[in-house]
Amino acid sequence: MEVSTSSPQVAGSVDWPSDWLRATLGFLCLRALSAGPSYGYAIISELERHGFGTIKGGTLYPLLTRYETAGLVTTEWRAGDGGPGRKYFALTETGRTELTRLSADWLRFSGATTRYLDQPTMEGSS
Amino acid sequence: MIQQTSDKKWFDQLVMELRMRQVHGSAIGDTIASAKELLRDTGQPAEKMFGPARDYAKALELPSAPKHDWICQALWPSTLGLLAFLLFNQAVVPWTRSELLLVSPAQLAFLATPVVLIAFLPLYLDAIIRRIWLCVGLSGIGALSGVLSAVAAPQNRAEAWLAVDPLPWLIGSALVMVALSIRNTTQSALTTGHDDITDPSSATAKSTGTGIKVFVQITNWLFPLLALAMLGLALVLR
Repeated sequence: MEVSTSSPQVAGSVDWPSDWLRATLGFLCLRALSAGPSYGYAIISELERHGFGTIKGGTLYPLLTRYETAGLVTTEWRAGDGGPGRKYFALTETGRTELTRLSADWLRFSGATTRYLDQPTMEGSS
Repeated sequence: MIQQTSDKKWFDQLVMELRMRQVHGSAIGDTIASAKELLRDTGQPAEKMFGPARDYAKALELPSAPKHDWICQALWPSTLGLLAFLLFNQAVVPWTRSELLLVSPAQLAFLATPVVLIAFLPLYLDAIIRRIWLCVGLSGIGALSGVLSAVAAPQNRAEAWLAVDPLPWLIGSALVMVALSIRNTTQSALTTGHDDITDPSSATAKSTGTGIKVFVQITNWLFPLLALAMLGLALVLR
């Protein structure tokens, strides 16, 4: 996957509470890798383009390192065009299975949250 | 220019932090190369992109060698070498003068000070690497205790707590120093290059240069060399 130059698909504000991003960044990164192997800046750009703000390298790389240790991603250095190479991250089968599981869980969780928030409030009820 | 300087300082700190965490050279090379790759892409300063080097090194949670490895491989032999060197120094002058080796309790305590300081190094190594004044202070204490041990040396047999033949101590300490130097030389020959920091983005290693190899060998034979110098000095001045 390369850095896209198409028009951004911003999902709204990028100023999300840090707790929310901390909880979701893991499977968002797995999702960013689902289309194929990618590198640090491309993953950051992909997440930024989809409205999650600018993820710092100090947040992204420790996460990906933990995922590599856990066997969810593999890494490979590929030669650059006349310059230094790039480190590519790729989903493993375990990583793909984990992404599917976490995505389903998240959809159930966000659905439940939305349904609860959409419920009319019963002010004055005891 | 300023950013290059601050980035270099940040990377130096990162390497030091990862080394202190006993991370293998190849993993350090990978970390450095991937961080540089992202900085090239974003054009941001390292501190802004990754935060403080110490926090980043901690957050990466890279696999590391057991913390006790370097204690067994380097610290205990160095402590034993220092102890042998100090014993040799105490025995060499009486031996060249055909006198007994006289020892007082205060002298022993002062001699033990640098040995104790090195033996307990793992407890405060992080602190002395980060605070230069602490390193200077401890070195000063070690040097001062050496001077004070000479001051506290008994002048005659009546003042001495122990009076022994210096020759066995001289030979024993010399043998220990030489044995440790041979062990260190063999070990460094077997392990040279295995923990070098390798750059995976260009598949080149910062190989151990000749200067470094010579420096390592001098370090391996430092105590026997210094002991020889002390022996020569004692023979000249007797």
